[in-house]
Amino acid sequence: MDTLVAAAIHDAKNSLHALDTWLARARAEAPSPALEQACLLSSQINAQLVELLALYRADRGRLQLNVNDHFLADFVDDLLAELVLPAPAKVVVECDRSAVQMLGAWAFDAYLVKFVLLDALRNAARHARHRVRIELERETGGGLRICVGDDGPGFPAAVLEGATAAMDADSSGLGLAFARLIADRHATPSGRRGRVELGNRDGARFSLILP
Amino acid sequence: MDLRDKSGLLIDDLADMRNAMRIQLADGGLDRCDMARNVKEAVAKLTLKRYDLIVCDYALGQGADGQQLLELLRRRQLMPLSTAFLMVTGESGYEQVATAAEYAPDDYLIKPFTSATLQARLVRILEKKAALMPVYRHLPLADKRGDPEKALAACDELLAGDSRYQFDVLRLKGDLLIGLERPDEALQLYEGALQQRETPWAAVGRARALAALGRTEEASENLHKALDAYPNYLAAYDSLAALLEKSDKGAAQDVVERALKVAPSTQRTRRLGGLALENKDFARAETAFRRAVDKDRSGFFKSHDDYAGLAKSCSEQGKTKEALGAIQDMGQHFVRTPELAARQAAVECQVQAKAGNTAAAEAALQRALQLGKEARLDPNTALEVAQACFVGGRADEARRLIEAVAEDHHENVDVLDRAQSVFAHAGLGDEGAVLLEATRKRMIKLNNDAIAMSRRGELDQAMEMLTEAADRLRNNCQVSINAAAALLTHIQRNGMNMERLERARGYIDQAQRANPTHPRLAEISDLYRKVAPADASALDESGSVTEQGEPGAG
Repeated sequence: MDTLVAAAIHDAKNSLHALDTWLARARAEAPSPALEQACLLSSQINAQLVELLALYRADRGRLQLNVNDHFLADFVDDLLAELVLPAPAKVVVECDRSAVQMLGAWAFDAYLVKFVLLDALRNAARHARHRVRIELERETGGGLRICVGDDGPGFPAAVLEGATAAMDADSSGLGLAFARLIADRHATPSGRRGRVELGNRDGARFSLILP
Repeated sequence: MDLRDKSGLLIDDLADMRNAMRIQLADGGLDRCDMARNVKEAVAKLTLKRYDLIVCDYALGQGADGQQLLELLRRRQLMPLSTAFLMVTGESGYEQVATAAEYAPDDYLIKPFTSATLQARLVRILEKKAALMPVYRHLPLADKRGDPEKALAACDELLAGDSRYQFDVLRLKGDLLIGLERPDEALQLYEGALQQRETPWAAVGRARALAALGRTEEASENLHKALDAYPNYLAAYDSLAALLEKSDKGAAQDVVERALKVAPSTQRTRRLGGLALENKDFARAETAFRRAVDKDRSGFFKSHDDYAGLAKSCSEQGKTKEALGAIQDMGQHFVRTPELAARQAAVECQVQAKAGNTAAAEAALQRALQLGKEARLDPNTALEVAQACFVGGRADEARRLIEAVAEDHHENVDVLDRAQSVFAHAGLGDEGAVLLEATRKRMIKLNNDAIAMSRRGELDQAMEMLTEAADRLRNNCQVSINAAAALLTHIQRNGMNMERLERARGYIDQAQRANPTHPRLAEISDLYRKVAPADASALDESGSVTEQGEPGAG
């Protein structure tokens, strides 16, 4: 059903999966900083391919979301387990797990939202001085806010005003475009939609609000 | 929990992927792991042995996929409910797996993933299965009798505790309430869940409850809204198509087409073929049935209906040669049984008649009728023979056959709908509706009369009437249950009679075979156990659960 472009992206992802398995084996046999860097790049390429595929499909009217219940605590665990940050680690990623546990489950496309947040976390880690925080809370009037905050200099004014497509100067804007797309495609029968909010408070704050 | 003491089965057609995943599973602590390359090997392994967990790749080669395999395993009960089934897929199979409505895997993972992720997912599934086992063990599934009342009680117990799986339990409970025909309680449950947060299963559940309450307009509006918000939620399409099928088969066909655009599925393709055939959209019906027939070269997932549908849609377009070819293919893809032969003959009669070959049609009809006399036919085949009778100018024989099917299956809406379309096809829709409704009412009256008689104390007459009917209508679950109830009540009032007890047991087994998920089966089984002395024959519980909590069905 997919076009040649989509099929080519699938092929690339399959090769990447095989590469990952070999990298993991090499790392188990003889760990080295070079291998760590290779794993980091591999996971970034995978994320970019997923985002590219989603944007391509949305463009062709073929993007499909799979909204189902997911335990938020499990989701955050998976997210943090998959987050690979460049060594040496200069920032810590914090999350109040017991607060997330209390929230129970939410209905969303965990696969695509995971990539939105991995991007946000990587971006936050790049600008943070010491720490990155991920916070989840229910919105009054319905919805779930997932906020990724850092203690860096905050978003430049141009980003907050929406004057630039990307969250920082040396990015293509793929990540933010993807985040807005995925947020907007989340909807409920009562007519609410998801959205992305960017703001500054003791650093940059990226929020994804799921309906 | 870890995977160290578990046994696993890994299913993937590609050697490289098998090896890579085998390494990942071993990293997660799973040492005991068998491997299968395709559907055939997997079925062979699962027939011999039970596994704690199964990891299956979506793409299995030979035109078969993991989703079909999962459906097969659940239908044939080759996998206990305690087994964790994890589907692994590339991005291209993701939609089919994630949107699976009826036979969903316990969880799925999209490649690439790490060993740690794989292990965490498997452990999570096993933990959830363990937590929900008190409900699972009583669920009526496929061929398992189950006990919906006990399952409901187990749900309430879990809901009273502080279960992490609260919403999973609510979801199970909603399904149980709908199954038990308690839509008002189901509606309340779904409304309550939706007040906490919006989620697709509760939105569709609410619509199903509304439909069951006869609030069709609201149900349809709810489903349309659910589909706007969750265009990938296949259960919503299925519910909407089922709703529309009663009033507007053209619209129902459109909905199934839309669902098939979301994800291909043999079952929905078959449904599309059936609807297109009824809507006289023969070209569309032909492509749908051809796809159902061609999709799976391993041959595990085909049905007689696909070939019959293909033959008819070709025949209606004047493609007699292709139609006869489809009938011949039908004979090559299944075990030869009298039922299969009768189906082939009945379809051939219709094809030959359409092509104007009266003699050949008559000969085929004779064969079908002869086979029908020699063997008890399943309702689909019997209705096919009836359709051939209409075509062959034997309307009375057709009516007799359809009436017998309707008496035997008066509670089965699907069978009655199919019977109605046989009449409609013969241009006798109105007559059919009258006859089928009269039959249905007669069966209800028979049951009610017998119950009234026994209330009046005329237990002997009631018993006689019901056992006579139950001997004749071996597929009628309700009648069989009432016959057993009359016999057991007779024993309770007049003292033990081993012959009557034995007959009651026979009717309960008959009811179980006719419809293993009938809501009254648990109640009648309890009555039998209460009345029967300790040394009496036990009920046929092959499909039920043993005391150790190991479900016999998946």
